[in-house]
Amino acid sequence: MSWVTEHPPARVDLDACVTCGLCLPVCPTFRLTGDETASPRGRLAAISAVDAGVLGIDERFSDVIGFCLQCRACETACPSLVPFGDIIERATAEVVAQMPSTVSRVRRFAATTGVGTPWIMRGGSILLGIAQRLRLAGALERLGIPASGLRRIPIPLPTARGGSWGASDAPTAMLFVGCVADVWFAEIHQATIEVLLAAGYRVESPKAQTCCGALAAHDGLTDNAERMSAANSSAFASADLIVVNVAGCGSHLKADPELGSRVRDITEVVADAISDGRLETLPANGTSVAIQDPCHLEHGQGIVDAPRAVVAAAGYEVVDADRDGLCCGAAGTYLIDYPETSTELGERKAAAVRAGGTKIVASANVGCEMQLRRFLDDSYDIAHPVEFYARARRGK
Amino acid sequence: MTFIEELVALLGPERVRHHPLDLIVFSKDAGVTSGKVIAAVLPEHTQEVAAIVRIARRHDTPIVPRGAGTGLAGGAVPVEPGLIVVLTRLNEIHEVDEVGRTAWVGPGVINLDLSRSLEPVGLHFAPDPSSQQACTIGGNVATNAGGPHCLADGTTIAHVLAAELVTADGSVVVVGSEAPDLPGLDLRAVVVGSEGTLGIITKVLVRLTENAPDVATLLIGFPTIEAAAGTVSGIIASGLIPAALEIMDQPMVVAVENFVHAGYPTDAGAVLLAEVTGTREGVKSGVAVISAIASRNDATEVRVATDSAERAILWKGRKSAFGAVAQAAPDYYLHDTVVPRTALVEVLRKIYEIGDRYDLHMLNVFHAGDGNLHPLVAFDARKPGMLERVQAAATEMVEVSIEAGGSLSGEHGIGLEKRHLMHLVFSDVDLDAQARVREAFDDAGMMNPSKILPEGSRCFDASGVRL
Repeated sequence: MSWVTEHPPARVDLDACVTCGLCLPVCPTFRLTGDETASPRGRLAAISAVDAGVLGIDERFSDVIGFCLQCRACETACPSLVPFGDIIERATAEVVAQMPSTVSRVRRFAATTGVGTPWIMRGGSILLGIAQRLRLAGALERLGIPASGLRRIPIPLPTARGGSWGASDAPTAMLFVGCVADVWFAEIHQATIEVLLAAGYRVESPKAQTCCGALAAHDGLTDNAERMSAANSSAFASADLIVVNVAGCGSHLKADPELGSRVRDITEVVADAISDGRLETLPANGTSVAIQDPCHLEHGQGIVDAPRAVVAAAGYEVVDADRDGLCCGAAGTYLIDYPETSTELGERKAAAVRAGGTKIVASANVGCEMQLRRFLDDSYDIAHPVEFYARARRGK
Repeated sequence: MTFIEELVALLGPERVRHHPLDLIVFSKDAGVTSGKVIAAVLPEHTQEVAAIVRIARRHDTPIVPRGAGTGLAGGAVPVEPGLIVVLTRLNEIHEVDEVGRTAWVGPGVINLDLSRSLEPVGLHFAPDPSSQQACTIGGNVATNAGGPHCLADGTTIAHVLAAELVTADGSVVVVGSEAPDLPGLDLRAVVVGSEGTLGIITKVLVRLTENAPDVATLLIGFPTIEAAAGTVSGIIASGLIPAALEIMDQPMVVAVENFVHAGYPTDAGAVLLAEVTGTREGVKSGVAVISAIASRNDATEVRVATDSAERAILWKGRKSAFGAVAQAAPDYYLHDTVVPRTALVEVLRKIYEIGDRYDLHMLNVFHAGDGNLHPLVAFDARKPGMLERVQAAATEMVEVSIEAGGSLSGEHGIGLEKRHLMHLVFSDVDLDAQARVREAFDDAGMMNPSKILPEGSRCFDASGVRL
């Protein structure tokens, strides 16, 4: 039998591919290698062959599937509307189920226990914070821990989990705080809350929420992802609007059958509030900001205009960091198993930003932000679009 | 050493693929047939390609070159178990002569990448097949590819000055030259469109075209496909040569619009996408001429794309047409016939008739300006007898095109898919002559065998014996 999990790649989805090849040029791994087996079409052919029972799941299959960054740029390019992200997650889960040793122990830990257990997350973060203060980020980087991509971690550690802000009669926006974002990117949450309040929302952040499970799902650890999804479903049971400010989490949560329809990215919420006048458009400040399009915002959620609208309303001139560019290579825990590819893509993205000349960059995904920080020097100001808007409001 | 061992000694294990997964993945291109792969290799420069050819020759193994695998005629499919030579890594733009407007490029350079990289100097590579974002220059040369803008600019042959190729004996030769008119036979014209049967193209000297100072794209809706085709005839008769004239019928428009959301009128019987380029004044008058002819032909809507973003999305719709067919059925089969423009309406009517008679789901999208039809059948190959029915209908469609004074292929190549129809346009003597040319380049019959020419083309191999 070719598949063993409960939800293997669906035949109807595989059949949607007519093998036209329009996905090839947008695929980062195909671009780097020119290799059909490293392309979306090639991966689909391999998965289809397993489904048809003419190919087994082995080391080679595992490699072909694992090498995919799951950036989903191919979905945007696909005229046949093949749900590639879903197919590759299911294929990955099959690989993990049939060849458990395929996901490295480090990757498995990072994607599940690491991000899903608050005390481990926080304990590790304190150690990272201390290492930053001892100027050891470079040394950690050499050990394969991407510490130079972090913002400075405040000690004591912050958290937005369990808080509520604003007038009780206002419509409630429930804030999804995420795992690493809550500890490492507290300023983004602060800016998000500030801007949501200004837009007339009450903000609440349920205490019982946990990691979204995207990392676990990408790594084929379906059970872990489902447990996280169940926890979040109950934590957000009463929510009408769930606001997410990390594109990777938002993309995963939007596909959740329970939560999906109520999830919105912060840039969508703010852009709407700007266009209907609940939030003001601030005067032009003569500075330009380069917009980086996170894959899981652009391809995962189909959002391209909203971050631009938010940054423009903050008074900046908006330019593209790398429109139509490839994934930056962060891709969750990808770096752990494919450091060379991740680095090559990170360098490419950084080179594109440098070539643009703008030293201020807006990224709506913390994973991309970390990757940009690793490959761009400290003279670059990298922040979330909503932070630019919040900063401009504070300064007006 | 075995064949594989020799290849590994040359290229290393990463660039020699023979795992079952690789054999499956490299067994087909964008068409409907698949072949048998012995191994796939990924060379990085000309000398490696030459060494690969020599090894294959020693082991009497056929070679099939492959670019991005976007071909629709099975050109990159090995009919006889063969070695796939993947040329995507020969993707360097070697040198650009901005003044002379030429560039030496690797066969693995993606068509649109070349034009994009030339944007700063105001030049582009004119052939623009629908797959231009993905397909490679090597494949364009091999199939003499066309595209919407070939109406004004001509197909690939008009944009290739020279090519370097590795022939079956492993030698590297250059056909054509930078000089405009070389004495002797024009072998360049023989190599362009030869679909890998004469050798493996490892470098191409392309002609570059200046970007037009002004462009306008019109999207025009019509109640019927006849009205759209009538407009095209009217435009050509007026003496205006637009950059492109493309028609899509209603089923095609519906599928495309569902993907691009460009505002294509899904209630129109057909739409015409027209583009005029030139000076500001020239474009303005071109738009006026086309609009007037369209309204005489009962156009229901004329939309002029005003900025580059709007133009881009309209073209994205047209260029995604083949892929969008999957929304209707998992497989599609398409033909690439050419008919005289005056016969467009009549041939289209017959093609729809054939589709109805075989009870097939037909969609039509075509380069109306030069009479290049792409009737497209969406079907499910797993239904028993379906593929045979589709192929029978397709053969009839080709026959009506040829009866009307047309031809077998406009731009996709003959490959594997259409070689059995070559006798419709060529006599035995013609085919024998072509087979002789082929033998002059490839005495071993190892370069992409069983492509273009039907079996038995050479008078003495009627028995099927390959010499």
